[in-house]
Amino acid sequence: MVSNQDIGLDRVFHALSDPTRRAMLASLKSGEQSIGQLSAPFSMSFPAASKHVRVLETAGLVRRRVEGRAHLCRIQAAPLASADAWLRFYADLWSEQLAVLDALLKSEDAATAARQPTDTPNAPKGPRP
Amino acid sequence: MNPEHLVSLTLTRHFSASPERVFDAWLNPETARGWLFTTPASQSHSTEIDARVGGAWRIADRREGVDFVALGEYLEIDRPGLLVFTFGMPQFSPEFCRVTVEIESDGAGCRLTLTQKPVPADARPGLEEGWSTMFDKLAEVVR
Repeated sequence: MVSNQDIGLDRVFHALSDPTRRAMLASLKSGEQSIGQLSAPFSMSFPAASKHVRVLETAGLVRRRVEGRAHLCRIQAAPLASADAWLRFYADLWSEQLAVLDALLKSEDAATAARQPTDTPNAPKGPRP
Repeated sequence: MNPEHLVSLTLTRHFSASPERVFDAWLNPETARGWLFTTPASQSHSTEIDARVGGAWRIADRREGVDFVALGEYLEIDRPGLLVFTFGMPQFSPEFCRVTVEIESDGAGCRLTLTQKPVPADARPGLEEGWSTMFDKLAEVVR
């Protein structure tokens, strides 16, 4: 389950809501990159890229270190794991709910089917399953 | 894990019942009472459903003496194909999700696709704690 220290999921989901930032994260999976390298696939200014990185940083998804003049970014796995746990939790919740609904509708059907042959007036009441 | 997969959750399920029956199970309080946010261990249960766009829903389930409340608002109702509502548990967190239920005919029955997306919000104080408490409590409710 999700522990106290690695939360901040609204920030994580906000950060993940943007396709550019998701692409940046995906490319960081292969290793540390500078902001210049991160912005290269997009026609984007350095300040714009830096702003996206800041959102990722605030969500704890990226850690930045300065080496000389380069700002190097590294992906942080824990918040992604939290987001994943969150989604899995609700996936389990809803699949359980839908299974209960399915069972409920089927039991209604079974009750209707069992009732039908004996529901005519004056019909003898036979044993039910 | 791929960040693309972490934006929302989607699951599908086949039902042997008609789309109308499955759709109505969400909005008819009598039927919803039998399955939606309840458990066999619940001590008391209330389901309030105002089934119109902008209408509220609220389900309270008492377990081990504690009321767990889930609530939200209906955003789209298009029987039997589409239902969109918000969903949250404000006693634990101010955060809400948007749940979309799509139902389409599939053979003799229907196929339901449920999508849940977090509603992104600005950072709010106390939210971090709220999340984890919500998870713990919600886990208690549904297990």
